[in-house]
Amino acid sequence: MLEVESLSASAGAFRLRNIDLMVAEGECHAVLGPSGSGKSTLLNAVLGILPPQHGRIRLDGADITHEPIECRGLGYLPQQIGLFPHLTVRDNVTYSARARGLPVAKFKPLMDKLIEATGIGALLPRLPHTLSGGERQRVALVRALTSQPRLVLLDEPFTSLNQSLRRELWWLMRDLQQQQRLTVLLVTHDLTEAYFLANRISVLMDGCIQQAGDKVTVYRQPATRNVAHFLGVNNLWDGIVTGHESGRLTIECPTLGFATSLPAGNKPLLPQTRVVVGILAEHVVLRDAEHPPKSNERLLTGSIRLLDFGPRWLIQFHHAASDLVLELHMNRRTAEHFGLTDKQSDITVGLPDSDLFWMPAD
Amino acid sequence: MNLRRTTIIAALLVLALYGGLIISLGWFLKLSTLHGMLTSVRTLFSIQLSLIAATVAAFLAILLAVPAAYALSRYRFRGREVVDTILEFPIIVSPAALGAILLIFFNNPLGEWIQAHGVRFVFTFAGVVLAQFITILGVAVRLLKTSFDEVPLELETVARSLGATPRRAFFTVTLPLARRGLLAAFILAWAKALGEFGATIMVAGTMAMRTETLPIAIFMRLAGADIEGTVALILVLVATGLGALSLSRWLLGKVAHA
Repeated sequence: MLEVESLSASAGAFRLRNIDLMVAEGECHAVLGPSGSGKSTLLNAVLGILPPQHGRIRLDGADITHEPIECRGLGYLPQQIGLFPHLTVRDNVTYSARARGLPVAKFKPLMDKLIEATGIGALLPRLPHTLSGGERQRVALVRALTSQPRLVLLDEPFTSLNQSLRRELWWLMRDLQQQQRLTVLLVTHDLTEAYFLANRISVLMDGCIQQAGDKVTVYRQPATRNVAHFLGVNNLWDGIVTGHESGRLTIECPTLGFATSLPAGNKPLLPQTRVVVGILAEHVVLRDAEHPPKSNERLLTGSIRLLDFGPRWLIQFHHAASDLVLELHMNRRTAEHFGLTDKQSDITVGLPDSDLFWMPAD
Repeated sequence: MNLRRTTIIAALLVLALYGGLIISLGWFLKLSTLHGMLTSVRTLFSIQLSLIAATVAAFLAILLAVPAAYALSRYRFRGREVVDTILEFPIIVSPAALGAILLIFFNNPLGEWIQAHGVRFVFTFAGVVLAQFITILGVAVRLLKTSFDEVPLELETVARSLGATPRRAFFTVTLPLARRGLLAAFILAWAKALGEFGATIMVAGTMAMRTETLPIAIFMRLAGADIEGTVALILVLVATGLGALSLSRWLLGKVAHA
């Protein structure tokens, strides 16, 4: 288990501030953030190449804050893969045993298992420059896991690969993580990668963790406007609390033109507090005669613009009665079923009350 | 004239300049003198002395340059900028001035003490090696630093994450990956030491059969107006130097593909 407590560290002018993070044993935790948010600084501090200015890092209960890298028991998979170009695949994979002065035979059972699972057996006599991108990733993965690390650090290791290869390696990584019960800290800017591999997510922005939690909660209930924007949620509007009763808030939303009642959660808010109301693009639904609205839906009528993304369509809805603009996501089949065309008017959309969420205004 | 043609002409001009100068030696070349020169004990001694001194100086320079270059490449420490600047010192100061500095040093109390209780440098083989060593050290560090800079730091980090100590990561990852630069640095340092004249003559003098390296022998012949002898010795030096550089190119090619 990794525990990062009140960690602060600087890299040049950039400062990572007061980071608290916990990765439970056997869990994959993704630190998700845009470029320059401090992901690499955090990873470097956990890895041991950046001394923290403040705070503690514990691994399985032991304080490793000031331990040298080689004593931390880590498996590290960097963005550039980091295979040793002058060593064969076999020598790369067995490097850890030799570096620790241990007999290779000690690691052999696990190594053989990993080699079989990743299918790199035929590559063992080859040099890294003769391998494809995907093969190199597999070798690097086996090398990092062979030493039975207490924590695996993944620094956006799959970003340079094409989509299908990435997905293939995500499956492999997920299988290995679950089979070996690996404790993994993944840093990435890629939402899909984070959601595919991780159980829990921390969103890091401007050197601070803005939100942490299980991935579904983080996705469905972003904590701040910045987090929501980073997660691709654009359907956000200013609102104001007008009442608080029986654990629910009444929020007036002038842009949407209605008031809604949403669960207050554990954040007590006084009336007249400014908040932000939002809904995920895929929770906005199209309504027509064949698909009548449900009782808890707010209906809006207007025109649409379409953007074809291949398997998915992005639909921009312009409310006829106001300057409200909404985004909808829809898979191609559903969109075609509705017979949508670009710039079509008289479209009705529904906003289910149960899918609206709120967050404090920044 | 297009860029390709202009640049190729410039490259061929470089060859013509150096090649022409070497070929022009033929005007004064007498095969009988060359043969006599190559078989004379004094010339053979000069060749042997030059080869041994250059090899020892280059070896010692690399021995110090490897850790120094690594520190300059990898660490930020107080005085780093000064060290980095001083590497150009032997280039800025002429070799003769460098030799004079060494000679003056051995005339101060510390230098005299070293000469009396340690190794005698002035007018000795050790002085030849020291003069060459001082001349080539800066360039050896500079070349090796460039080689270490080219080895990604990340590879060392990965090696350490796999359990290697910094020293082990250096010897098993960084140094093998910088081997091409290491070899190139040794060979260039060696070639520079082989042709070193100014500092050597200041520290070791021109003592026949003692400190007379090939460049000094050339100087001595020319000073004695022995043009044929000078030409013959120059050709020996050129052949030795070019032979070494060809060997280095071949070795570098092998290392690159290893």
